[in-house]
Amino acid sequence: MRQSIRIALLSGGVCLVGTTTLAQVNVGITVSQTGPAAALGIPQKNSVAQLPKEIAGQKVDYVVLDDATDPTKAVANARKMIAENKIDYLIGSSATPATMALVDVAAETKTPYCAMVPSKAVVDPVDEKRKWTFKAPQNDAIMAESLAEHMAANGVKSVAFLGFTDGYGQGWLEEVEKAMPAKGIKITAVERFQRTDTSVTGQVLKILASSPDAVLIAASGTVAVMPQKTIKEQGYNKPIYQTHGVGTMDFVRVGGKDVDGTVFPAGPVVVADLLPDSHPSKKVGLEYIKAYEANNKTPFAVFGAHLADCMSIAANSVKPALEKGKPGTAEFRSGLRDAIETTKELPATHGVYNYSPTDHAGLDNRSRVLIKIVNGKWTLLP
Amino acid sequence: MKEFSSAPLLWIAVMLGFAALPILPGVPDFWITLWDYIGIYSLVAIGLVLLTGVGGMTSFGQAAFVGFGAYVTAVLTSHFGWSPWLTLPASLCVTGLAAFVLGLPTVRLSGHYLPLGTIAWGICVFYLFGNTEALGRFDGISGLPPFTLGPISLIDSRAAFYLIWCCVLLAIVLSGNLLDSRMGRAIRALRGGTQAAESFGVRTAQAKLTVFIYAALLAGLSGWLYAHVQRAVSPSPFGLHAGIEYLLMAVLGGSGHVLGGVFGAAVVAILKDHLQSLLPKLIGADGNFETIVFGVLMVVILQFARQGLWPFALKLLPAPKPRRIEQSAAPLPRRAVPEVGSPLLQVEKARKVFGGLVAVNDVSFNVKAGEIVGLIGPNGAGKSTTFNLLTGVLRATSGSILYRGQEIAGRPARDVAALGVARTFQHVKLIGRMSVLENVAIGAHLRGSSGVLSSMLLLDREEEERLLREAAMQIERVGLKEHMHKPAASLALGQQRIVEIARALCLDPALLLLDEPAAGLRFGEKQELAALLSQLRSEGMSVLLVEHDMDFVMNLTDHLVVLDFGEKIAEGAPASVSADPVVLEAYLGGVE
Amino acid sequence: MNSTIALFLLQDGVINGAIYALLGVTLVLIFAVTRVIFVPQGEFAAWGALTLASLESGATPGTALLLVVLGVSAAVVETIRERASMRPARLGVMAVRDVAMPIALLLIVSTIAPTKPALWLSVLLTLALVVPLGPLVYRLAFQPIADATVLTLFIAAIGVHFAMIGLGLIFFGAEGFRNEPFIAGVFPLGPLMFKGQSLVILAATAALLAALWFFFEHSMLGKALRATAINRLGARLVGIPTRATGRIAFALAAAIGALSGTLIGSLTTISYDSGFIISLKGFVAAIAAGLASYPVTVVAAIGVGVLESFAAFFASAYKEVIVFSLIIPLLIWRSLVTAHHDEEEE
Repeated sequence: MRQSIRIALLSGGVCLVGTTTLAQVNVGITVSQTGPAAALGIPQKNSVAQLPKEIAGQKVDYVVLDDATDPTKAVANARKMIAENKIDYLIGSSATPATMALVDVAAETKTPYCAMVPSKAVVDPVDEKRKWTFKAPQNDAIMAESLAEHMAANGVKSVAFLGFTDGYGQGWLEEVEKAMPAKGIKITAVERFQRTDTSVTGQVLKILASSPDAVLIAASGTVAVMPQKTIKEQGYNKPIYQTHGVGTMDFVRVGGKDVDGTVFPAGPVVVADLLPDSHPSKKVGLEYIKAYEANNKTPFAVFGAHLADCMSIAANSVKPALEKGKPGTAEFRSGLRDAIETTKELPATHGVYNYSPTDHAGLDNRSRVLIKIVNGKWTLLP
Repeated sequence: MKEFSSAPLLWIAVMLGFAALPILPGVPDFWITLWDYIGIYSLVAIGLVLLTGVGGMTSFGQAAFVGFGAYVTAVLTSHFGWSPWLTLPASLCVTGLAAFVLGLPTVRLSGHYLPLGTIAWGICVFYLFGNTEALGRFDGISGLPPFTLGPISLIDSRAAFYLIWCCVLLAIVLSGNLLDSRMGRAIRALRGGTQAAESFGVRTAQAKLTVFIYAALLAGLSGWLYAHVQRAVSPSPFGLHAGIEYLLMAVLGGSGHVLGGVFGAAVVAILKDHLQSLLPKLIGADGNFETIVFGVLMVVILQFARQGLWPFALKLLPAPKPRRIEQSAAPLPRRAVPEVGSPLLQVEKARKVFGGLVAVNDVSFNVKAGEIVGLIGPNGAGKSTTFNLLTGVLRATSGSILYRGQEIAGRPARDVAALGVARTFQHVKLIGRMSVLENVAIGAHLRGSSGVLSSMLLLDREEEERLLREAAMQIERVGLKEHMHKPAASLALGQQRIVEIARALCLDPALLLLDEPAAGLRFGEKQELAALLSQLRSEGMSVLLVEHDMDFVMNLTDHLVVLDFGEKIAEGAPASVSADPVVLEAYLGGVE
Repeated sequence: MNSTIALFLLQDGVINGAIYALLGVTLVLIFAVTRVIFVPQGEFAAWGALTLASLESGATPGTALLLVVLGVSAAVVETIRERASMRPARLGVMAVRDVAMPIALLLIVSTIAPTKPALWLSVLLTLALVVPLGPLVYRLAFQPIADATVLTLFIAAIGVHFAMIGLGLIFFGAEGFRNEPFIAGVFPLGPLMFKGQSLVILAATAALLAALWFFFEHSMLGKALRATAINRLGARLVGIPTRATGRIAFALAAAIGALSGTLIGSLTTISYDSGFIISLKGFVAAIAAGLASYPVTVVAAIGVGVLESFAAFFASAYKEVIVFSLIIPLLIWRSLVTAHHDEEEE
């Protein structure tokens, strides 16, 4: 046993020690390349290659680990990168539970941390614990409100909700329950389904029995097609709304004509080419897409852009932080945090960031556009 | 302390070295973090070793109990502001309760239904966690307080290390003590099927539930630690995939050994960590290959090391010292021997019907105290069925079976055993991995009384010495003294039958039921067995035996009962029965 | 809830149940012949659907390459294992069957795929790619431990499941796919609307079940499989090679799995990890039938489908809880029926 422990420990050491180098900015990224959030984690991982290699004269090094959508693994990854790679900035993970767990790790180790999930609870309220955490994606609230506005403007008086039985569906449900009544829209039914379900007929029948003016499906990726198809098959021809989770071309590819007419909110990067030239996200967004598609030979997915935004936020703050200390020191990290908190009018792929000591979500209404699918193409709604 | 008894000095050195890890200069932080996780996983794996490797119940749902432990402390500390230390009893209580509720149906499942059942409730519990508002639904609860010790916070992985590994050490010691006790033997006997254990008075359903709850409590303890080390809980670490991974740890380590659980947890955690950095370099492509490597590894290990990896490590260690038999231990009290010649067993028109088939048709016979009765007949005559009616394995359709004047027809096997009826089995039912001594000591189960707690705390040692001395005495009596400390499986089949007789004698029976005791014995061994049985008879014991070997029966028995096609066709002294034309017809014309 | 809704739910449940039935029957088949509780059966279904989707989109599916890798591995492993008794003839068979044929198939598929072949050709190619994976999985994972306990085989099956999930993610990516329906369109029947594909599923399930029945009752091979199921040793004694029966059982399983995958692929979105939960539900049915009776499995599978459909209507968030918590009483009942069969020691 002793022997085996020693061997295990020694072999562990060989791999772990030696990766530590100083005088460069180290960024640690943990994403879910496998497990239920793989559809988010893979484009995020694929975006790493295009991140800046040098910021403010400092070499930047990235460590990427997979957490398999497991919060335990995500925390272990973060601790590993903090201990072994001396990271100055932490980014991750792809799903909310893991992200919530990382908030504590960031606070404990005083590492500035950028979250890539929309859940508001990650950065709200900004207290001792959340002081080190900043969030790149839009709050679900921003997205939900934009949908509520669109519905109200188009005479929708009632809506039924069909969402994932997981953190994504839950986050949306909470915001929808606030945003819809605020616009006088009644929620007629709330139903849930699994990512792996082969049929949602039961849920759809129940929803349609409540005769809503519109249906909102809160699901992500291609899985979101199936409920919409089922609804259409039941002869329902009123508006169907989706969430920003369907902001990938895969959704249109799989959905075909069944998803024509769908309205969903999204970050501006999704339709970067359609944005007016005046939009602050147009330039950054197009650059991101170009680099992504050149690196990966696959169409970009919206989730990866959050990673790019996380880096934009940090890149903008490295220079002031360098005045506080050298990379790898506690002074640098705390300087980086302080600098990020003062970020003003920073254009990025998903919007314009303005952080403050009381707001670590940073985005406003410029961070969302409404998209309608027309003839298999995304069109920008005014 | 049995786990460490083989080389105490070596183990002390290992433990000291291990304890020094966090304070040694130059030990990277992440090693300690990794070992913290290994400790947390180990607790679950140790529970699984007891449940799966020892008790024979495979659970894929262990992660659910980790969840109960973790969620209870998460709710109490975050919503109600309790200190993490105060929540431990609550965590364990709730986990224990959940285990009791889930265990009641689960332990009644047989064969592969049991693991499937654990998969079913494993999935249910996951969704219940995820759909419960108070538990934060799928996002869970975060921002849990770390452990604190006075002013010192155990937030640092080096500090938490000691807390975690103290728990693991405690679990190892308690589990080792439990296994090496009266209840432990009962639990280990479960692997050999419930029939044998029940025949010696073990309440198998209760023993199964006990080990099930114990394993769950270890998982709950692990969950309690997890919640405050991770400082966030959400459903996904408590789902089915986590449950599968825990089982993998137990199986990989060696599901029969407590330390194998720890070993398995360490191998899995270290391997996972290394594969993540190694594989992309080896394969030269990005992507996640760990799952694949893990799956393949699991299959390969089952192909080449079905007992897990720990037995290989054990080979490097000195062999454990054989159990010392305390010759001075007070002998166990004996049962009053019935007066020779008094009626002991009266079978009156016993009948057993399976569907439309009458297997035993109104058979009647008697066994008097101090005589050896043979039950013979061609194959399919109903001998074994009759035997099972007597021992409570089967319930008679009608008729009565009186033992010392008491009705025993329809009473469960363990009640019959408690009255002083001991048996052996036609197909030997010993636990191959247990020593002969331990196997035989199961026979004395009803002559002891210590329970789970007293054995874990070593309060049962005096009784334990008496039980083991009794077992050793019976082994000596049947002439297997030199095999006492060998695993039962290493003995020849004939010898194993004799071990079964020693186990039966340990019950201190007044009536011994032997199912083909001479099968597989060599001539000399048969003579020894006959001498042993004659001696037992002279001590006032009664024996009823089913046997095929005519010479053996003719020379030994006082009385023969002959069955054919479920009916008694003859009865009487051996000499008269062997001359009976009906018996000859049955045997010569029979299937034999 | 009115009767129309009830009918709709019933219809939906029966169609899902038909898929569960196919998987459940396969699980019973594999268990009976090899005693393996084959958890990854659902992966064959997912791979069937995803292989078809790759072909439809003009790409060479990863399963083609996997077939080569597994074929070569099986040949190498078996050559090493049986080096003492290996005859040249067998080496030749393996070289052709396990090495040459998969490579040929890979070449054919990578030539045809970019031309986006017709649906029937794609389905044929899918079967040609996925079916041989069944026996290969059996040879590599289970054949060497064919005599182990049910539990050991079960754990090995879970290992195979992990490996297949990981491979699926690499081959097909994390996003889901959807196939073209065999028959597009919707047919009204009374108040109900039947999707063409639903009818195809029902018809295909019925046909497959009938074919299985015919196979087991009337073909020599089927009888051999049944004999093995009843008594392995006895079957071996009368000259039925149990190794071969294991392979055949797995080939059948892969074929039925792949076919059910191509069937549901157009009804729902299938991704690399869709298979597990589908096969778990097939399991519930197989367990209800005591992993022994085919007709009971089919009835139970349809029962599961219908139950699930109604549970989705009444309490969608707790659907899985309802379906899986109902297994436990079922298991207790099975345990009582088959008492005293747990006397298994390793």
